[in-house]
Amino acid sequence: METRPRKVLSINLAKKEYEVKSFEDLNNYIGGVGLGFKLMELYYDKNPLIFAVGPLNGFFPFASKTAVVLNNDGVIEDIYLGGNISLRIRYAGLDAIVIYGTSPEPAVLDILNAAVSFKSVNENPEKLGLPGKKSVLKLEGSKVLLGGYFGTPEHYLEKEFEDKNLYGIVITGTELMHISDFDKYEELYSRILNRKDDLSVLEGNYPSCSNCPMGCGKSQTGEMGGNVLLHSLVACQYADKIYTDVGIVFSCLNVLGYNYTHEDIESLPRLIEQTLRRIS
Amino acid sequence: MPRTLKISFPEKCVGCEMCILEAQRQLSKVGLEGALIRVFRNTNSKLGNIEYSLEIDPRINSLNVDKIAQICPKLVFEVEEAE
Repeated sequence: METRPRKVLSINLAKKEYEVKSFEDLNNYIGGVGLGFKLMELYYDKNPLIFAVGPLNGFFPFASKTAVVLNNDGVIEDIYLGGNISLRIRYAGLDAIVIYGTSPEPAVLDILNAAVSFKSVNENPEKLGLPGKKSVLKLEGSKVLLGGYFGTPEHYLEKEFEDKNLYGIVITGTELMHISDFDKYEELYSRILNRKDDLSVLEGNYPSCSNCPMGCGKSQTGEMGGNVLLHSLVACQYADKIYTDVGIVFSCLNVLGYNYTHEDIESLPRLIEQTLRRIS
Repeated sequence: MPRTLKISFPEKCVGCEMCILEAQRQLSKVGLEGALIRVFRNTNSKLGNIEYSLEIDPRINSLNVDKIAQICPKLVFEVEEAE
């Protein structure tokens, strides 16, 4: 199997420091929840808040979620956030963001690709980042919302923000992704987009996740639990007919330059379960 | 006759960015850098009332604008024949 390093931006709120780490050996975890759980194991003592995207985010329709992995009083939770943040993380050239420690004063993180500026709470997050290329995730009333609309289930993310003295995160991604066989990629993109009727959700006029034309009302509250392959990619749970189709998944991964085998995909649930068992 | 992309119904935009990504793919790009369409969330709209606005770079008209208009699920765009 080809090994592709996973690029992780780790942010120490207490020291206002950050670094980008390249992990060579996390390929088996694919991304999203798999990557998030493994990073939770690696950073467990630091009580991290992890945002992890998967290999399809930013590239294919209906793959627009971001896995949020956190430790809720000893229980490792994985929840899923919609909106445009997965594309911004991908276009920042990152696979995951790991945030740990507690900020000495209420903080706003302004992330531009792999660089972080630590801002005071007096800065309006909406004024940070580059217009049209950013995501703004911030505390609004009692909820942490992305773009003023997209949230996550339960109150886990809000508690993390409170514990870490975090008020907002702005992420801007300005990198361009390279695909060697662009014609094949476009053909596959169209093929997946044409399977819109396979989604188990109705079209609506609500704010939509990026790279998803559905505008459904379901994405507002985020997701929790479900298929580990889907959540490792990280695709929408309502697109499960598409992204649990192993043929489609292999085609997508292949055109992006990944070279997973059936064994790699089949062993993913066990790998994730073992990782979770070690940290629970 | 040249065809131009026009934002006719911005109020219908749901912020999916399909148009941006389509235009970028036509330039063999994946990402937002150098995008010829930009979608913004209006931060001054009333709480609970999310609105988006769009900007297009005139260079968009060198692309296949019909394909860009068609990919929008809410038909925000129209294509006009330029004089």
